[in-house]
Amino acid sequence: MQYGMIIDLERCVGCHACTIACKAEWEVPVEFGRNWVYRIGPALVGEEMASTYYPGLCNHCSEPVCVEECPADTIEMTFTDVKTGKTEVLEVAATWKDPFDGTVQIDKSRCIGCGACVDACPYNARYINPNQTDDVSEDGKADKCTYCKPRIDSGMEPACVQTCITGARIFGDLDDPGSEVSQYVKKGAKGIEPEGGELGPNSRYYGKKKDMALLFNTHTPELADMHQVRRRAMLASMVKPAIKTIKNIGLLGVAGAIIAKHSAGQDTQE
Amino acid sequence: MAFNLTRRKFLQSASLAAVALPLSKAIASESGVTRSPFEAKGSSGDKTVTGGICEMCFWRCQLVGKTRNDRLVKLEGNPKSIDNGTSLCARGNAGIKLLYDPDRLKYPLKNVGKRGAPKWKRISWDEALDECGKKLNMIKDKYGPQGISVFPHGSTAKYPMHFFERTVGTPNISEASFFQCRGIRDTAYLATIGIPPGEKVDMPNAKVIFLLGGHFGENVHVSHIKSYMKGLQNGAKLIVVDPRYSASAAKSDIWVKIKPGTDTAFLLSIMQYLIEKGKYAVDFIDEYGDGFEEFAEGIKGWTLDKAAKECDIPAKQIKEVADMLADNAPNVSIHPGRHVSWYGNDFQRQRSLACLTGILGAFYVKGGWVPAKGPKVGKISWKHKEHEEEHNLNVNSDDELYHPYTPPGTPTELIRDAALTGKPYPIKGCVIWGQNPIQTIPDQEKMKQVLKQMDFVMCVDVMPTDVTMWADILLPEVSYLERYDLIKTGTQWDFSEKHQQYISARMPIVPPLFERKDQVYITNEIARRMGYQEDIPVKTIEELVEKNLKVAGLSIEQLKKEDGIHIREGKDPYTMPEDFEIIFYNEDIEDSGFPGIPTYIPVEQPPEGFARLLYGRVPVHTFNRSQNNVWLNAAMPTNPVWLNDALAKKMGLKDGDEVGFINQDGIKSRTTTTVKTTPGIRKDCVYMGHGYGSANPLMSVGVGAGVDDTSLITKITIDPETGCNGMRNNFIKFTKDGKTIDIPTAV
Repeated sequence: MQYGMIIDLERCVGCHACTIACKAEWEVPVEFGRNWVYRIGPALVGEEMASTYYPGLCNHCSEPVCVEECPADTIEMTFTDVKTGKTEVLEVAATWKDPFDGTVQIDKSRCIGCGACVDACPYNARYINPNQTDDVSEDGKADKCTYCKPRIDSGMEPACVQTCITGARIFGDLDDPGSEVSQYVKKGAKGIEPEGGELGPNSRYYGKKKDMALLFNTHTPELADMHQVRRRAMLASMVKPAIKTIKNIGLLGVAGAIIAKHSAGQDTQE
Repeated sequence: MAFNLTRRKFLQSASLAAVALPLSKAIASESGVTRSPFEAKGSSGDKTVTGGICEMCFWRCQLVGKTRNDRLVKLEGNPKSIDNGTSLCARGNAGIKLLYDPDRLKYPLKNVGKRGAPKWKRISWDEALDECGKKLNMIKDKYGPQGISVFPHGSTAKYPMHFFERTVGTPNISEASFFQCRGIRDTAYLATIGIPPGEKVDMPNAKVIFLLGGHFGENVHVSHIKSYMKGLQNGAKLIVVDPRYSASAAKSDIWVKIKPGTDTAFLLSIMQYLIEKGKYAVDFIDEYGDGFEEFAEGIKGWTLDKAAKECDIPAKQIKEVADMLADNAPNVSIHPGRHVSWYGNDFQRQRSLACLTGILGAFYVKGGWVPAKGPKVGKISWKHKEHEEEHNLNVNSDDELYHPYTPPGTPTELIRDAALTGKPYPIKGCVIWGQNPIQTIPDQEKMKQVLKQMDFVMCVDVMPTDVTMWADILLPEVSYLERYDLIKTGTQWDFSEKHQQYISARMPIVPPLFERKDQVYITNEIARRMGYQEDIPVKTIEELVEKNLKVAGLSIEQLKKEDGIHIREGKDPYTMPEDFEIIFYNEDIEDSGFPGIPTYIPVEQPPEGFARLLYGRVPVHTFNRSQNNVWLNAAMPTNPVWLNDALAKKMGLKDGDEVGFINQDGIKSRTTTTVKTTPGIRKDCVYMGHGYGSANPLMSVGVGAGVDDTSLITKITIDPETGCNGMRNNFIKFTKDGKTIDIPTAV
């Protein structure tokens, strides 16, 4: 199974109901979003006037670049197929791709808030939620669209799909050839693949030719510079567990943590 | 990407701590950290409270609340609704940010400073109500009831409006929804088909949808958008007439990039062409038409070529539109529009739209104009008392109406002019209830002068707005989520489905906080203090709802049992009423001195260096009422000005440049916004979203966000038949870094 979402641009009217419903459902801070709607145009596509929207969200990629970059300690995690009850054990860091439903998820309790996954995602689908802090991660935790996993696991629709006033958001299993989302893929729904990437985005777009051209011409991203991302992740992973350990022992505060890991203090500038 | 978060902040705070505190204290300050809940719970486990009706706009979607520990955490469409279903728009979803807005009015306030520069003192309800009752009575005694003016808006304003109009007896009521919005549409259709048209076009079953200025997507009312989209998905062709490539134009088959103000010429030429070619509903007009021959004769001059020149569009496009309509008649939705207070020639345009619908035979047919047959409920309110007629400002010395096709109330400018001149009588009291006349009515300075000369101004609202700064007494009202209120009725929106009716009453989702009160309490208490206790129609708002529901055989208790919505069998909406007629040539209009045949009246064009200011809706705001909503503000924090890209190049402006404006009267915008350059707008106009740029510092989110388009609309145009305002006859230039930039529209 691979959950996916279709955005039908012929139906989308750009009203933002989806983004606000998501904010309410998941207590997303005002200045961030797990999803977004950008208006594009009016602009000329060839000779034709066009204007459309980029209603974006996590693509729950088939080959997610974010997952591999997580520097948190790995654990063995048991996954359960909600439908069959079948289980599978995988070794995962604080973010992973679910082997049964194909969604990409985050374990907030183990996220160290380093932002490597945020930087790795070419779609800017992740952000650090400053409201979700603990002593491992006082700047917050990585947050993003989960395809409303808690809701879909209990048989509900994602909040954005439920509120969409025109039925422009369609959710379902892309591996099921009979599903509505698969029908859209057959009709030509496409994910936005970054330049030179092969991520296999599973949030996909369908629309008039000129509108699709406008969307893809203006919003095809580049892959992140992975050297940067990894350097950051490595440094963060060096500092964070140390802070945690020391705090747990209760001997030193933040200052002490920095002293303890003075080598990490070298790289503080942008 | 910048490596900027964690560690730099760590170091900063660490070094500060190290300098300022001994290590032991630093440790203490770091200990006892409680873990925040990492993952939001989601609303699926929360308690569902039914019975809500949205009022983030006037469409009134039925909703449910999700509450957690008595706090509302989310709003959703009521799954039982046959109107909006589980959907809410962005504004509906953001309702909780109005409910819990920390800037909301909490207590009765008295202005101990000046009007316009208030200093607020918290007072008790008794003191506030005493003051309102005393001052309004003083005005009534000295100047008569007509000395009190009322500016109402929204469902809470109806009850107090009826009190002042029917019981106290002032005719001086200015409803924004009529005089600055849809009043012209309603009276123009009344004068043509005898019924105000609403937005009652059967779009789901239409073969063509025709929008004149309608910009759905930017303008959002849930079930209306649903029916529009259903129509498009069912294969309807879409014709959009708009100087701008609007959200609807982007979905259109034909975009008519019309010159602003010339719409009537366009409509007349379509009709003239169809009549000339015999491509009109001959039998339908034979049966239901009145004055058709005079009409056909009267519009003969409007050839395609003549209109093409006037409207600055190709003649062949007008022909294409006309043919598309005729080929698909009668199943065409000629949308009557809603906000139609445009150019001061609007009554004639709205009459033309009604006539075009008639020419196509598109009344009471699939896809045409079809009023749903909804259920009846009670309309209990204040009783009409006998009042003298002579104080109607709309009557001239010959006992004729200045504006014979005025919507209910008195035209705004007649009220304002009387207030400013004291003639024919003084207007010294002002009751503002849910309306923000400063950001609604043209010429803000005039409005301020009107308010300044009053003996007493009271405002009732949920939020501070630009006009509440001018109140002497400011009363906090409960929001739509905290009160019983209106009864919403209707039918399913797709008439091809089983006919159903629904009745739903607004019921509180959460109890009110602070000292906020509802309209029945406030009005009754003022009425009591003015000596009208004998006339009070209901003691509480609950009683009002209960009595109105009883007419439909329902009760609040029953509605609660039915999850807030009562659904019953409906009626076929397509049956034509026996007395239906379409008055093409209207002799009465002519007798009162206006064209009885729909007539194009040209409007003033922008002077050199200026472009016409057009405004419209953004999907996240309702007028200026939602400016301070923190989620909606974040979604669209400002209102970029649309500028034709070729002009922008000539003017040296690029996307994102920060600009201000100056209008033809030398009035400057208080704030700035960004430029949006696009080929999708004509060169003789610029466009911006309405509902921005509040001047009230008590709106900590909305104040100064974007530009207040109304502040630039200072030239007053009056639609003569109706007395309503035309608001698109103002012209602006840009300002940047202290310099004025001409708009070379001739490029």
